[in-house]
Amino acid sequence: MSEPPVMRPSHVLAALGCLSLAACARSAPPAPGASAAPPAVAYEAHVAAGGIAPTGGELKNPHAGDAAVAKAGEQLFSAMNCDGCHNLGATGWVGPSLADGRWRYGGADAAVFSSIYYGRPKGMPAFGGVLGTDGVWALVTYIRSLPLPSEVPTESWEQP
Amino acid sequence: MLRQPITVILLSCAAACMPGGTARAATAPTGPSEDGQWTMPAKNYSATRYSGLTQINAQNAHSLHPLWTFSTGVLAGHEGQPLAVGETLYVVTPWPNVLYAFDLRKEGYPLRWKYRPDVSSNALGVACCDAVNRGAFYLDGRIVYNLLDGHTVAVDARSGKELWKTTIADMGNGETVTMAPVVVRDRVIVGASGGEFGIYGWLKALDLKTGQIVWTGHNMGPDADMLARPESFKPLYDGGVDVGARSWAGESWKTGGAPVWGWISYDPELDLIYYGTGNAAPYDPEARPGDNKWSASVLARRPGTGELVWAYQFTPHDNWDYDATGAMVLVDLGIAGKSVKALVHFDKNGFAYTLDRATGKLLVAAPFAPVTWAKSVDLASGRPVIEPAKQTGVSKGKVTGVCPSLEGAVSPASPPAYSPRTHLFYTSTNNLCMDYGAAHASHLRGTPYIGVDFAYHPGPGGNLGAFIAWDAASGRKAWEDKESYPSWSGALVTAGDVVFYGTLDGWFKAVDAHSGQVLSKFKVGSGVVGNPIAYRGPDGKEYVAIYAGIGGDWALLAGDTRSDDPTDVREPAEFMKDIARHTSQGGIVWIFGL
Repeated sequence: MSEPPVMRPSHVLAALGCLSLAACARSAPPAPGASAAPPAVAYEAHVAAGGIAPTGGELKNPHAGDAAVAKAGEQLFSAMNCDGCHNLGATGWVGPSLADGRWRYGGADAAVFSSIYYGRPKGMPAFGGVLGTDGVWALVTYIRSLPLPSEVPTESWEQP
Repeated sequence: MLRQPITVILLSCAAACMPGGTARAATAPTGPSEDGQWTMPAKNYSATRYSGLTQINAQNAHSLHPLWTFSTGVLAGHEGQPLAVGETLYVVTPWPNVLYAFDLRKEGYPLRWKYRPDVSSNALGVACCDAVNRGAFYLDGRIVYNLLDGHTVAVDARSGKELWKTTIADMGNGETVTMAPVVVRDRVIVGASGGEFGIYGWLKALDLKTGQIVWTGHNMGPDADMLARPESFKPLYDGGVDVGARSWAGESWKTGGAPVWGWISYDPELDLIYYGTGNAAPYDPEARPGDNKWSASVLARRPGTGELVWAYQFTPHDNWDYDATGAMVLVDLGIAGKSVKALVHFDKNGFAYTLDRATGKLLVAAPFAPVTWAKSVDLASGRPVIEPAKQTGVSKGKVTGVCPSLEGAVSPASPPAYSPRTHLFYTSTNNLCMDYGAAHASHLRGTPYIGVDFAYHPGPGGNLGAFIAWDAASGRKAWEDKESYPSWSGALVTAGDVVFYGTLDGWFKAVDAHSGQVLSKFKVGSGVVGNPIAYRGPDGKEYVAIYAGIGGDWALLAGDTRSDDPTDVREPAEFMKDIARHTSQGGIVWIFGL
């Protein structure tokens, strides 16, 4: 494991345009729109009753693919103690691996956003209150930038 | 991390188990006579895990075989141990902390009942290291145990009905509860995990009948918070007013950890309870200059009032995550020709300590595994002689070759046993060293407060663990059985001079108490991180019970032993690449007999 440089959350958020953690926490609740929280969650292989998907807002990552934001997100990943549960490099600890290409609640930008912003059962805290949408999008951008394994892993102890 | 009272059997327990009944009985490792039950996490208040039963002995143990198994339906690490009370066997599972009561009178041991508490799944993200539970306690017709999400419950041992449920811990503050409670008279003594979340560690007492919280004593902070009064708190080596706050820079004690996630023992004659505290938080020691008392320490308190009487710190200014939450075993030892009321403790830091349990005076401290962080422990000052090159901190960068690793020379989850027949202690050990790179950690309520990058390496010899016999009077190893993997099981020793333990790769072993020679072994389906017990069944025969179910830290470190989640696939641990070849998750209760 390599250790990412560590920044205080306030530094990272300032870099993202928030003046302080408190300022971000006080930012207005997200309105429906391009980078706001969705009224509904949808993820891959989500089964819709009757084959009819519910209507809902569409979330787009305003920083998708932005390497600088991914870097800031990596710093947030340590500064917000994400690594305490998901390990450095997000390879999994008491919380699941986020670097294996497998997703409990979907791996698309909007799904990852929902998981971080609102939290999930089984212990994922809601970070939307402390990070605001910008901070969460930075984390999403970082997580989506992680290299994924190219194949389904088979562990073998037999000599070839 | 218990049963059904049968009047006749409980009468004999009343004398041995009730404090104030016969004080002599409870300090003796066996009690006046062996009642054949297992009503407390560690068998008795002295925490010896010694059973006076003799049917299974070194001559016949070769014919031990499994007689019964039960899947708990839970996959997390099965630490702790069952209870055998009268004609009932009680089992507490990891989260969701189901309590099963098995009828030992009937073929197949059908359930009398099962109790399914409402436990929040959010606890799974607040517990640092798997959703374990270390067991229950039986007294006066009640089974008392802790729920991961911060509650203590009392359940009627006969009916399985909940008697009370008390919130003791705050998950929003990083507190969960995995420890095994102890009941002394009418006090239920409990503590919280959270050394990885920067909690303000504490011990609480609840009223056995009502569940109401009677007192709370913090493990650090100002004297008032610690229930320490100058006239009665007499730490032998380091004291003074508010030492629990002054030994921390600024107000770092407020988030200093010192959790209570192990075991509690009790001496009825001295009327003192003994328990160990966990690591100081965060893992970067430079964030909290000072000794950080009383993290990584043993504390002695009055059970009735919580009053602190003495404390001793094993690892001042913890640099290495050396929790001292392992068992404090109370035995009378002959040291230098004198009989001493001793407290014996195998610490994560690699030293085995023998103290005078009346005063906290250090008598013996000797390494029982490879140690590089300290050269020795000075008996006069009670302090370790630190190796400067192994001091850690953000300014130090990566510090290599620290032994033991932060898994400990033994896990506090793996309690030892003591036999008054051989005068030896028996314990699992780990042979791991580490590289430790402290990192900044920011405290954010309800999230981890750690700050370390670490890697493990096998210690000298290459075997990752062992099971040893130890003479605590002299501080010497009597024998050692090497194990391929870290040894994470508790120990049991019986008057038949047989010692029982399990291995991480899933063997349950019976070995000779005098020599360590393996008498029998059986592959129990999953790695063992629990503790064996012995009991006499309603048919008069001796049985040994053990949980299988790898987990605890191994759910994190050896993530490839898990198969339960297709959305979470991990690489094997660098230092232990093939453990998943030999074991996988699965909670199973096993009963062995002749």
